[in-house]
Amino acid sequence: MKRLERKEWMDFDDNNNNNNNNNKSTLPHYNYNYYPYDEKFKETLIIKPLSDGKLLTHFQFSVKLLKKNNKEGSFKHYNYFPRAIGQIVQSYNARELHLTFTQGKWNYEDWGYPIVPSAGTGVELWAWLRKDGKLDKNWKSLTNALAGLFCASLNFIDDTITVQPKLSFKPEGSYNASELFDNAELRSGSLPHENVCTENLTPWIKLLPCKSRSGIASLLNGHKLYDSNFHSMSIHVRPFCEDPECINQQLEILQTVSTVVDPVRVSGKRDWSLSQVFGRQLSNACPLAEESNLEIILPENGDYKINPEANPDNNNIVTRRTPDVSGNNEKIAVYDLKKAQLVNSDLSMTWNEDQFDYDLNHTKPLVFAHRYFTGYGQERGGIKVNIFNKSPNISIPIIYYDVIPWYLKLYLYTLKVQINDQDVNSDTDNPIKELYYQPAVDRFRPNVIEAKIILSPNSLTTLSINFDKVFLKYTEHPPDANRGFDIGSAVISTISLNNLNDLNLTTFRDCLSLNNNNNNNNLEKEEGGIRIGCLHFPIRIYTETLLVSLPTPDFSMPYNVITLTCTVIALFFGSMFNLMTRNFVALSDNNSVNNDSVDNNSVDNNSVKDSVNNNGVNNNIVVEEKIDKIE
Amino acid sequence: MRIMSKLKEKSTTITSTTTSTIKTNIKSKTTTTNSIEKTSNFIGAILFGTAFATRLILFQFSDITQILGSRVEIVTPVTSFNRLTEGLYLFDNGVSPYDGGAFHQAPLLLACFQLLGYLPSFSIKLIYIIIDLTLAYLLANITRIKQELYKDYPRLDIELDEINPWIISGLYLFNPLTIASCLSQSTIIFTNLSIILGTYYSLKNNKSYGMFWIAMATYLSFYPLMLVIPTTFMFTNSAKLKGKNLKNEICGCAGLYIGWLTGLLILSYLFVNSWDFLSATYGVILLLPDLTPNIGLFWYFFIEMFDQFRSFFLVVFQLHAFVFVVPVSLKFRNHPLFGVFMLNGIMAVFKSYPSIGDASLYLAFLPIYSEIVKYMRYNYLTTNIFCYCSILSPIFYHLWIYAGSGNANFFYAITLVYSTGNIILLVDATYSMLRREFDIWNPDLKNCEITQK
Repeated sequence: MKRLERKEWMDFDDNNNNNNNNNKSTLPHYNYNYYPYDEKFKETLIIKPLSDGKLLTHFQFSVKLLKKNNKEGSFKHYNYFPRAIGQIVQSYNARELHLTFTQGKWNYEDWGYPIVPSAGTGVELWAWLRKDGKLDKNWKSLTNALAGLFCASLNFIDDTITVQPKLSFKPEGSYNASELFDNAELRSGSLPHENVCTENLTPWIKLLPCKSRSGIASLLNGHKLYDSNFHSMSIHVRPFCEDPECINQQLEILQTVSTVVDPVRVSGKRDWSLSQVFGRQLSNACPLAEESNLEIILPENGDYKINPEANPDNNNIVTRRTPDVSGNNEKIAVYDLKKAQLVNSDLSMTWNEDQFDYDLNHTKPLVFAHRYFTGYGQERGGIKVNIFNKSPNISIPIIYYDVIPWYLKLYLYTLKVQINDQDVNSDTDNPIKELYYQPAVDRFRPNVIEAKIILSPNSLTTLSINFDKVFLKYTEHPPDANRGFDIGSAVISTISLNNLNDLNLTTFRDCLSLNNNNNNNNLEKEEGGIRIGCLHFPIRIYTETLLVSLPTPDFSMPYNVITLTCTVIALFFGSMFNLMTRNFVALSDNNSVNNDSVDNNSVDNNSVKDSVNNNGVNNNIVVEEKIDKIE
Repeated sequence: MRIMSKLKEKSTTITSTTTSTIKTNIKSKTTTTNSIEKTSNFIGAILFGTAFATRLILFQFSDITQILGSRVEIVTPVTSFNRLTEGLYLFDNGVSPYDGGAFHQAPLLLACFQLLGYLPSFSIKLIYIIIDLTLAYLLANITRIKQELYKDYPRLDIELDEINPWIISGLYLFNPLTIASCLSQSTIIFTNLSIILGTYYSLKNNKSYGMFWIAMATYLSFYPLMLVIPTTFMFTNSAKLKGKNLKNEICGCAGLYIGWLTGLLILSYLFVNSWDFLSATYGVILLLPDLTPNIGLFWYFFIEMFDQFRSFFLVVFQLHAFVFVVPVSLKFRNHPLFGVFMLNGIMAVFKSYPSIGDASLYLAFLPIYSEIVKYMRYNYLTTNIFCYCSILSPIFYHLWIYAGSGNANFFYAITLVYSTGNIILLVDATYSMLRREFDIWNPDLKNCEITQK
């Protein structure tokens, strides 16, 4: 069916593009020259040695689809754009979709900011959905569809997890100003407990035009990828403007995989090669890719050698701005795989040193944060966040976003702000400029804290809040109840210093490089245009996920508890029923029954008691029967 | 049995054996001369002064409110002062306090504490102390009215003296449960005050106030709904004496009660501008979404309950609490105050979020009927159970939650024992009351073996 459609499409195109006919015979199915403006595929591998000797490898695949002139049928035909994603985006009316699987924690202090904002451990999904009257239903279906697609537990993102952030997660695509906010709503959810593994990677790779058969995707080796300190895998679908007025929109799907591997662990040195890192060698570019680059971000200092060497004469070493707050220019060695520069050679980097020495004075990013639990016991506790601003003289605005599940009951009145360990009392000193708080409802929705905070220069801002731990029903505990519950990362969105002057940036490398290095990269030049989406606090910093242990009942007890409690209740009910419905009667009265033992005139009380006790129950029954007869 | 027979022996020795008619032993109150009254008032002043000083001094320990206010035995999700503070904070900042899962208390309480917020912070503590003292004072007054009412009521020969009303106050004021509950600033004290005021005004035959305070108690914590029937009996009983139309009396009570309750609810609606508070307060009390441990029977039962049976048992448990209202009220229609005591006791054990504040209230009623204590069979047992629970429940809770060396069953076991102790006490009191009645009306059977039929 799919093939037939494509054939028809090609025939249609043939009529318009007769000059391309000769290409058809060589590559009948995959020649993008047939549709020069319909879809573009770009692949990039970025390798960056990090300050603590680790190595970041970042795969980035982007497919852009022009929506021009066929708004209705923009998803009728699929060439490079993955059909599975296209159908999901279209049928659930999603305008933007961001899905990230992460394992491990990005170490901001040592590694700087990641190339795409890394997400906190687990799965994070956020999407801007068009308001079409069944938005919440669409969101539910979206999570379920993605769950099926990626073999992940995304379907567990239900009402108790779903959040509508007010300040964070602004659209990242580019829009014309009118359509930015009015017709879409944001939904977000994360599953910090989700484990990411090859079962998620395999469907992810299947979305790529070349799968993992050729191009840089052939380096995606599950065995090596998951043997790393950090890995993150994401899909971002977002619209993209073609022209400054944003009349023609493209849809872009950006797939990334980032891993941080540790060559020092293996050899004690920072040296790495592709075959060592991925266990494979790079053969050639994906034939469908318009652009296929391997980029190495060169360390500023250090005695190192790259083999094969990048050629400065051939525009192979370029300078671009980093996406983080520091805004440093970085030297990058670019290898164009289309030109077959790396065929049959194992790219490697060697350092002229016997052993790696950890650099204690490396530059830290300006803003980073840590979050942890305070308190002890399983009854109550607190959350504390330390947010650092390392800039010596600039106040930096941030947005703090934290979703705390309903089973931690927050007390907002205990929210305390400290700057450099000094309590903040007056309103004017309070760095919190805006605060959105959504209290949790049991079994229905989570707590959400969103705050716009101004971090004063060179400061440590501490937020703390107390909570009660909720006692869950025994069926609400996971099977490994005593492991505890994961609390997802808090997200700190901040702005890069460059953005203060130059507001046309996004976090994404291509968006950045575009504005700064127009002359260096011809292909990126074509994508010029206003990017309103770039304005909003583009850097996201994820804090640690937390593990909280909740009080557990005894899981083996349900029957015992039901029995014991009901016994106590029955004890009361029975006794009261007895007292309410029965009257006191004398076992015998003076003149009716001829029974000496209870005749108070003839015998003294002691003997009465004795005789009753001696005769026991039988005697009582006899007497009662007699009374019955008399009555 | 042995105790009972001894009791009978005693009564036989004291009274003459020949009497076969009901002996209406009218004890004249003329013995209370002015001098005695003066000393009695002096005792009262000392009692209240000491109680006031004790509370004031204990409040000076800076953390005591926090420590006691976070004990599960003392505060519950529906009475916690911390949660009230949270609700107040949210309300002050323009967030609806009922839109979250933390605050489950009545809107008027919110309004009241918002006003108190303008006063210096110590005034709230002072108000708690004053309310506690007022409660005690009203209890003494209730005792006086009760003694007045029972002046002409037949009594047993061995019962010589009426209990001094100040003793009732003292027993309430120096009950450790009361003190702990007061120091924790649990809002149960407002319910208790309403119940006591309702009872007091009902006994004083002030229908409007009586019904208002019962409605207020219902409004604050729902379960006092039960008290409408025994308090109505208080009015009908006195109406019967005066020969008024009973039907009018009952309709008047019901009308006033419903009127006041509707008024309070509408006032709350006007205050918070939505009906959300109904589900956040009464919904929570009835449906039990918050399973924080307390000394009651609900929490662990519903933590452990299988999902498919949850609603069934919820209905059964709540019905069970209410099912005694009619029989108890009817059985004690001549002693509606005793009915109030019994229903308070039932509430303290079988409500969804009981705390020791509830127990302190019903225990305060018990000595008003001091005459039945002689008939109670398990005094030693129940006293021991109360002591045993007071000591072991904090320990077992600590073992479960903090030390990790015990599990939930430890604390659950203690709550079971506590409930059992209360149940035994209540059943015992009912038995004693009925048994004493029987003895009063059947003095000729005092040497017979008595059984239930």
